[in-house]
Amino acid sequence: MKIVVCVSLVPDSTTKIKISDDGKSIDESGVTFIINPYDEYAVEESVQLKEKKGAETYAISFGTQKHKEAIKKAFQMGIDKGILIQTESDNYDSYTVAKNLAEAIKEINPDIIFFGKQSIDFDGLTVPGMVGELLGIPSVNVVTKIEYGDNLLTLEREIEGGKEVITTSIPAVIGTQKGLNTPRYPNLKSIMASKSKPIDEKKATYSGNATNVTEMKLPESKGKGKILTEGVKSVPELVNLLRNEAKVI
Amino acid sequence: MYKSITGKIFEELKHVTDKEYILTDEYNKDIYSKDNTEDLKYYPDVIIRPGSTSEISKILKIANFYKIPVTPRGGGTGLSGGSLPVFGGICLSLERMNKILEIDENNFQITAEPGVITEVLQSECEKRGLFYPVDPASKGSCFIGGNLAESSGGPRAVKYGTTKDYVLSIEVVLPSGEILNLGTNTLKNVSGYNLTQLIIGSEGTLGIITRITLRLTALPKFRKVALIAYDDIYKCISSVAEIFKQGLIPSALEFMERDAIKTAEEHLSKVYPNSDAEAQLLVEFDGNNEEVIFADIEKCALISEKYDAADVIMAEDTSKIEEIWSLRRAVGESVKNISVYMEEDTVVPRFRLPDLLIGVKEICTMYGIRAICYGHAGDGNLHINILKDGLSDDEWEFKTAKAIPEIFKLTVRLGGSISGEHGIGLTQKKYLNIAVQEKVILLMKEIKKIFDPNNILNPGKIFDL
Repeated sequence: MKIVVCVSLVPDSTTKIKISDDGKSIDESGVTFIINPYDEYAVEESVQLKEKKGAETYAISFGTQKHKEAIKKAFQMGIDKGILIQTESDNYDSYTVAKNLAEAIKEINPDIIFFGKQSIDFDGLTVPGMVGELLGIPSVNVVTKIEYGDNLLTLEREIEGGKEVITTSIPAVIGTQKGLNTPRYPNLKSIMASKSKPIDEKKATYSGNATNVTEMKLPESKGKGKILTEGVKSVPELVNLLRNEAKVI
Repeated sequence: MYKSITGKIFEELKHVTDKEYILTDEYNKDIYSKDNTEDLKYYPDVIIRPGSTSEISKILKIANFYKIPVTPRGGGTGLSGGSLPVFGGICLSLERMNKILEIDENNFQITAEPGVITEVLQSECEKRGLFYPVDPASKGSCFIGGNLAESSGGPRAVKYGTTKDYVLSIEVVLPSGEILNLGTNTLKNVSGYNLTQLIIGSEGTLGIITRITLRLTALPKFRKVALIAYDDIYKCISSVAEIFKQGLIPSALEFMERDAIKTAEEHLSKVYPNSDAEAQLLVEFDGNNEEVIFADIEKCALISEKYDAADVIMAEDTSKIEEIWSLRRAVGESVKNISVYMEEDTVVPRFRLPDLLIGVKEICTMYGIRAICYGHAGDGNLHINILKDGLSDDEWEFKTAKAIPEIFKLTVRLGGSISGEHGIGLTQKKYLNIAVQEKVILLMKEIKKIFDPNNILNPGKIFDL
């Protein structure tokens, strides 16, 4: 079996984001980058599957040299091979990412392709579906449970007010959601072992964005909270503030 | 011996602090009757929340004149009952004096009022690339003033020291109402007796701290955390001293036994790796060179292997590091939630930690009581939480009265003391003579009398006069 997991590098969720001078991208100075947290579920699922059934595992990332860090993290968790689809900048849209990933995945010809359901930087939720479409295979996103049968996967998704159970043939693209598994902390042995795992670098073959970012803005900052200190006596004032100032009741 | 607050005295107090900031209702009296010490409650007669040094000075003058006890209060997170108003009287809450007055980026100093929450102070420093390393577990709600009063520690003490190591100067109001300025904002100062350090850790018995200047360091750029699992608790604790002997300087080195981790896991509804191991060490390194930090963790792992460590896991991202720290921070609170408890804050030279742990377990087995141990292994500070579980009140009373002095005597025999960072306060004062010479206690009492001849300031703490 061959498993591909696509990983992305995103700003650490505790980082304070600044917009750079061009007004279209973030200022990366002083920002620490981490593997996209949802990709950790995808990596964990790949590694667990490998441990159960035996598989060749690949982590693929698209982007500049720094994206190697996401692959290294996947290595530390137990993925064996890495491919970086190398670009000069990070200013590419989902379509370009999907197109390049699909191209690389085609060469590997895997049985299952895992993604995190979305990356926490642009929150597009689009790449897994696009890759499935470009490869002409089924794709299911936001998956919280997987049962592996012979050439058939039974998947669960949480939907409004309930659960949806889907079966799909393989190969298939699966986007992983929190709850699917508990991503492991890498232990020191696997970290040491990861240092000798190879990353294959290839140039991006497609760069014709379908969309362009024209402007980026930070959300307006929230005002300071109010604390009412008189206990029960504050209730009328609280109701008044909720109704007339916050306008929520 | 103390006077109660008559209508006339109350009127005088209202002239000093706006009545909006004076509380006498039962609801608030209940809130201010407790801190984080066991389930103890002592009700104040009045809670005053002054807004300035001069108000505090006037309040103390009135209290001193009429002989009314005054118990200062910070965030109310103390673990030895330091802020409990055992004789009633005035609870003097510093909560409104919560301003950061100056951050001096040239000299790496911060000046603040005592009511600033420690974590707020830390994050204001960190925004500017400065670092106030003292990191008590209650940092999200404790006050910097309370930290000085108790000379708080926390996990980073092993590399960075405790509160006492960062105080340059303070403003203190004496029970007489006089305002003192102690220390200078220089890194060196030898000018007579060091009264600054006398006030630090004096648990609010000598004066009220009203302004604080702390020295800061530069914020380290990177930190990484490893969690080392051992199947043998004694090998775990024995590896601690070896880590230091190999020349490593972790920024934290924490010990947790299995029961502590299991309880915290339950509290957080979260499963951590290797939580079935008998004990674990949380090791943190910080610095400006990522590779050096990694190499240090690697060395640490090699040492732990010699002590049969089962596994070493690592956290490098901020969120993962916080996740591991949240386990450690949850231990204290969650262990205290499972049963009536008594917490002892023993500290020994770190090479003697295995002896302390073995001794404590033996004493507990002998008396048939359960204790959960965890703490700042790097600086030899072991928190021992003795749990009542299913014992009857009489058994609990009897067994702890025997076991606790034995634990403390053992601690002292090993070259340690009965409180590393929680203070003596109310709950530990009966044990003070186990750790401190009689003549020394006598001297302390004489000092107290010089500062507070009428014994109005936090009476009933540390020792009885």
